[in-house]
Amino acid sequence: MASALRSAILRHIRVPATQALSANGSRLIAVRLMSSHDDHITKDEVINRVLEVVKCFPKVDPSKVTPEVHFEKDLGLDSLDTVEIVMALEEEFKLEIPDKEAVRIESCEQAIEYVYNHPMSS
Amino acid sequence: MAHMMRNMRVPPNSASLAEAKHKTLEFFRMCCRSIPEIMEIYNLYDVVSPSQLRSAVAAEVRKNSNLTNPKVIDMLLFKGMEELKNCVDHSKQRHHLVGKYVVGNQGLVQDLGHKDQGSSNFLKNFYSGNYF
Repeated sequence: MASALRSAILRHIRVPATQALSANGSRLIAVRLMSSHDDHITKDEVINRVLEVVKCFPKVDPSKVTPEVHFEKDLGLDSLDTVEIVMALEEEFKLEIPDKEAVRIESCEQAIEYVYNHPMSS
Repeated sequence: MAHMMRNMRVPPNSASLAEAKHKTLEFFRMCCRSIPEIMEIYNLYDVVSPSQLRSAVAAEVRKNSNLTNPKVIDMLLFKGMEELKNCVDHSKQRHHLVGKYVVGNQGLVQDLGHKDQGSSNFLKNFYSGNYF
């Protein structure tokens, strides 16, 4: 019974030959499974999420937030607020930014750049 | 600064205000990094979010933002470190944290301004000494 069903199904199933196998090695490197580098987030997603985090900060006027905005000069925040935003970004992207590099993030632009270039951001 | 959490001892004095400021920001960062653990230990997910706790800690730091004496800042940092260690080591109970950092900064106790700033001359003199 089961074998009859099996053969009946198998007779009707066609599996298309994959492109990667037929081409001689040129298209084989499309996907590396289990690699942390492949599903890296796109620049647009980084920009959107960074801006979202900055806009959610209580002292920031959301209408002023642009991708180039400087935290202290344009948004009127102080160094403590800047650290708070950087920590919020760490939480959002599941990073741990070392102190030396966290000090250098002073604007949305730098934050986007850092997060985008970080291999572990997700 | 992480080693200071493990074996608490008095760190060397800050030489300048800039160094004290740097230490303060480092301390704040350390607090922020312990927040997820604290949320977990005291089961705070239903009363507060990590960002609110971060803001509460920042408000505590900002209360003393008018200080310029590095020694005083060092002393407060040490006290802050002590408080943080007590939280992380589970030496407190849930209502201590809820009362101080969740309810404390909006509801029952409202002292968000600088310490001693709005008080009257009489009080300032009273705090500074007995004879005036």
